[in-house]
Amino acid sequence: MRPKDESKVLDIVGEFANVGAGNAATALGALLDIEIVNEVTSCNLLPLSKVAGWLGGAEQIVAGVYTQLCGDLRGGVLVILSGDSATSLIHHLTKEKPDLSKLTEIQVSALREIGNICLCWYLVAVSRMIDSDLIPAPPDATVDLLGAVLDLPLAHVGVKVDKVIAVHTVFKSFEKEFDGYFLLLPEEQMLDVILEKMGDGR
Amino acid sequence: MKEPELVGIAQMAVTKAPEQICCMGLGSCVAVFLYDPTTKVGGVVHVLLPRAPQGAKVPTKYANTAVGKLLTEVLVKGARKEHLRAKLVGGAQMFPNLSISVSDIGKENCDEAKKALRQLGVRLAAEDILGTRGRSATFDLETGRVSISTAFSNSHFI
Repeated sequence: MRPKDESKVLDIVGEFANVGAGNAATALGALLDIEIVNEVTSCNLLPLSKVAGWLGGAEQIVAGVYTQLCGDLRGGVLVILSGDSATSLIHHLTKEKPDLSKLTEIQVSALREIGNICLCWYLVAVSRMIDSDLIPAPPDATVDLLGAVLDLPLAHVGVKVDKVIAVHTVFKSFEKEFDGYFLLLPEEQMLDVILEKMGDGR
Repeated sequence: MKEPELVGIAQMAVTKAPEQICCMGLGSCVAVFLYDPTTKVGGVVHVLLPRAPQGAKVPTKYANTAVGKLLTEVLVKGARKEHLRAKLVGGAQMFPNLSISVSDIGKENCDEAKKALRQLGVRLAAEDILGTRGRSATFDLETGRVSISTAFSNSHFI
């Protein structure tokens, strides 16, 4: 990426992620029967070593649901929920208060499904905008230190690049203690398509 | 006491007692520690991937190039090669059910790091690797011990 293009690229990708996150928030709200809104989208080009710090620190305990796109366009999408949000969402779906340190199979499955819904709706909106199919693999979920959750997504996108574009969208509910965010990590080719379709060829 | 220096992905730190250095939230990443107990000089490199592709610019990102780079740096700082011992932390499989992942990057990182240590003739003294849990590792250059904590358990030393 040429340096002078950087802020423009970030604007476009940020706008783009906003629409995806809005769609996901609506779907998740319907599942849980609460109103969920997405608030802030921020977008940054970061060296690999700085991503965890940008998201609040590697040491926090979070729930992460991650998938990779497996079609022509590659990238990773990660949904991160705070520990409290994951507890309340799993509780809501399974009617049983979970202990995050030892989730049962059903509880992990509930978490994975919450993530899956978010990811799919996010990607539906994104793929409409760029008029290309985005095909997610079935996701997997875990509860662990943020730094550890980020490692695999960063490893996948970081093979060729030393800096990644990270797009971060907060979503929250006013009725319940609930917050989380999406992290989109597009690979080079996907980024090119996004920029082209959004009317800014490089 | 001074806060430990944080070493992020693809970063390296080399120092000596009484400093401490720390890698937080290691998932599939591997932290390779080298330490010379006689001079109390040591260092760590926080590795993301097993092997460097052609034309890679950051040697500290890949296990096969990072270990040699770390070795060179600790020797420059005054460590003696015959006294050096290594410790490995990390290499977990955080998303074992992700169907698209053909390879286990965590395990590959460990394998490549060990291979590099063998080739460079550095003894591996201890390890806490693999599994499915993230780890944070703090290295005390005074004692040479690495304190390891995970999300839901008490810390232990290697």
